[in-house]
Amino acid sequence: MAVAAASRPAAWPARIIRSRRTARFLFPLVVLAVWQLAFMFLETAVLPSPGKVLSFMWDEVRMDTLSRHTLYQSFAISLGRLIVGFLIALAIGLVIGLLMGLVRPIEYFLYDVVVVVLAVPSLVWALITGLLFGLGNNAPIVTVIGVGIPFVILNVLEGVKNSPKELFDMSRAFRVPRRRVVRHVLLPSLMPFFFAALRYGFANGWKGLVLAEVFASTNGAGWTIRYWYDAHRAQGVLGYALFFVLFALILERGVFERVSRYVFRWRPQAQLEVVEEAVPEAKLKVATVEAERMAADRGTG
Amino acid sequence: MAKTLDASPDQLQKITHGQETRVAARKKRLRAVKRWGWRIAGYVFFLLLWDVASGTLMSDRLLVPPAGVAREIGEIFQSGDLWMHLSSTLQKIGIGFTLAFFLGTTIGLLTQSRWWEAFFKDWVTSTMTTPGLVYALVVGVIFGFSPIGPIVAIVFASFSYVTVNVAEGIRALPKDLIDMSKAFRVSPGSRLRNVIFPHLAPYLFTGVRYGFSIAWKVTVLTEVFASNKGIGFIMRVEFQLFSMAGLLAWISIFFILMLFLEKGILQFIEQRFFRWRQEVKLA
Amino acid sequence: MADIRVEHLHKEFGTGVEKVVALDDVNLDVSGHVFVSVVGPSGCGKSTLLNVLTGIENPTRGKVEITHEGRDAFPGYVFQSPRLLPWRSVMDNLIFVHKDRSKETRERCRRYLGMVGLEDRGSKYPGELSGGMQQRVGIARAFSTEPDVLFMDEPFSHLDAITARSLRRELHDMWKATKKTVLFVTHDVGEAVELSNRIVVFAKGGTIKDDITVDLPFPRDPADQDVAIAKADVLRKFEELDLIAT
Ligand SMILES: Nc1ncnc2c1ncn2[C@@H]1O[C@H](COP(=O)(O)OP(=O)(O)O)[C@@H](O)[C@H]1O
Ligand SMILES: [Mg+2]
Repeated sequence: MAVAAASRPAAWPARIIRSRRTARFLFPLVVLAVWQLAFMFLETAVLPSPGKVLSFMWDEVRMDTLSRHTLYQSFAISLGRLIVGFLIALAIGLVIGLLMGLVRPIEYFLYDVVVVVLAVPSLVWALITGLLFGLGNNAPIVTVIGVGIPFVILNVLEGVKNSPKELFDMSRAFRVPRRRVVRHVLLPSLMPFFFAALRYGFANGWKGLVLAEVFASTNGAGWTIRYWYDAHRAQGVLGYALFFVLFALILERGVFERVSRYVFRWRPQAQLEVVEEAVPEAKLKVATVEAERMAADRGTG
Repeated sequence: MAKTLDASPDQLQKITHGQETRVAARKKRLRAVKRWGWRIAGYVFFLLLWDVASGTLMSDRLLVPPAGVAREIGEIFQSGDLWMHLSSTLQKIGIGFTLAFFLGTTIGLLTQSRWWEAFFKDWVTSTMTTPGLVYALVVGVIFGFSPIGPIVAIVFASFSYVTVNVAEGIRALPKDLIDMSKAFRVSPGSRLRNVIFPHLAPYLFTGVRYGFSIAWKVTVLTEVFASNKGIGFIMRVEFQLFSMAGLLAWISIFFILMLFLEKGILQFIEQRFFRWRQEVKLA
Repeated sequence: MADIRVEHLHKEFGTGVEKVVALDDVNLDVSGHVFVSVVGPSGCGKSTLLNVLTGIENPTRGKVEITHEGRDAFPGYVFQSPRLLPWRSVMDNLIFVHKDRSKETRERCRRYLGMVGLEDRGSKYPGELSGGMQQRVGIARAFSTEPDVLFMDEPFSHLDAITARSLRRELHDMWKATKKTVLFVTHDVGEAVELSNRIVVFAKGGTIKDDITVDLPFPRDPADQDVAIAKADVLRKFEELDLIAT
């Protein structure tokens, strides 16, 4: 019965309703509807209506703002800090990660410290750097570095530990020169780990950055949402919150997913899907747990 | 261990033949000692670095030495504030994360249908990349100092970790084992207990572990902006007083408690539950 | 054509209780246009022998020498598993082991891909091919370097019987046409009898137990009576040798 029903071509309204694109567009509409209902029935003074928030957002998009900087300036300032901080984290993390991967004592010496630093909440980074450096660019950038480095280190370390020995052996048997082995075997095999570091380090650096801007800066996206909060403008806070969500989606779907699809085009389709839909942190968590377990194994067995 | 248990008595004798075994055991012990030596050296080195840096690199008012922080922690423990703030924070986490767990599992089950997956996809992605600060400020501006705020923030910030892991676990259900048990006419109840649940448990656990650590951080954050109780609140007070010693002391307490809950308790339960995974690895 | 000389070769892995003797006093002399099969139960050190000969592993003791007209011979190796770079296309996998990427090199790689029946898959990634196809790419890669000596480690054991049979024929024709030295590891006695002039028999513990000369005219059809009898003789010999006991 069910098979027969499924194989019959559906009428067009049913087809549209069943389409996954419809589902995707339906979600924000449902949220808006629920929000509107809550606004009408809860009658709290503070919950702004969707219309009010959307009109605030529209003003911001047109660069008509009461805040010190426009939407674009705020996000540009933050993005600039994020990139600078993360590049530094990448450079330092790469060196330390490689050293840990290649020299056992260095690994033992630093591993626990790295795991502890990874667990430091970004709030802690923001508050401490805020007290140490005061207002300015330093605290946010150092926060990004501090948050990003352990991600880079752990992933580079994983990458080195997982280097494909059998492919190096193969290259050796065919007398392939070292430079070509580095380019065609070593670097591509490190790519997934490098990319993971990039993606999750960047996402977490971003979270830390906006916090640091709240406590130790006078501009940027984090500072601006705090500005609306302090001004008790609920529509400002909610509007900016939605900008954050949009920014995250654009970064994730528009940049990282595309780059990942290109970089990993050699992966069979099934695997690719897993990579695409895998969740940043859950994945890294698994990787970190694996790393911890492997380290433990090396100790006991 | 498992290997030697499988061996018959005369094989055992072969394996434990005298000197060579002892030499190898000594080597292994030496390796462990070296490893722990380097590890401890790591801890000592960074504590010393901190100690030396405060007072030379930066003033010891700004970068308080470890001893100063330890003294401050002692005072906090004596004052009795600790338990008030701590229990307030823990209550919110307990309620919030329980709700997040059920919401996350439900959505995870729903996303088995491709339509629902598409429906929730953007939400799940964006909740994971949205900074905790955004949740904290939104619930702060809507709910004020009411304890509902942090709970809502926890649910929204952490459910997706459960969702994603449940979805992944179901996607990886061991079809071969399920087919096998069907072939042997194993009852559905027993199948659930012996095949499906043991398979899903580690995934659920990963989701809980990670979602929980996010819940922690978000709770503290909401307390920073919209609360007059809790660890986050007290951290903000110390920050505003420019008291580095107090801030570091509270941070240390927060951090140690978090590590204890995550690494200590959760990991202990996990090892208890998933002993079979260890055995699989040995085989 | 190459000369392989192995003298008192020992190879051990690990130390203490974990020590494994993979090869124990192996002596072997192979020279000229011959096809030598190495057979033996699994774990007796066949792969290890090839790894030492191709320079992937160093001997613990003893001497190995592979020369071609007085210089070090250039080897080709077909591994037990395909060992392809998953992130490079099939064609680039072949080119990877060549000295240059000139037009002649590409032409040659394409020719050998055609030989294993994959001329139209050059732009695919290994992950898009079946296991058997990947193994064939590994074979094409080894042949495309036109090595002085060819090492093959159970190259057909993962293939279906029909593909294996046609590749065996290809291999034989090529060996005949190019006059290469081939060292071929297999656990399939029929395959060894069909292809080789010489069968070196390994036993558990990494020692050579026997060295059998197979003196039958090529091409050999496994259905032929002579070939079947030779196979039965070799199998009977194995019984007598008791290859599993250490
Ligand atoms: N890299 C290695 N490390 C430790 N032991 C190895 C290694 N390679 C092979 N061995 C051991 O050497 C022995 C011979 O292995 P191998 O040459 O692969 O056997 P075969 O190819 O004949 O099946 C086996 O006992 C195997 O466990
Ligand atoms: Mg082998």
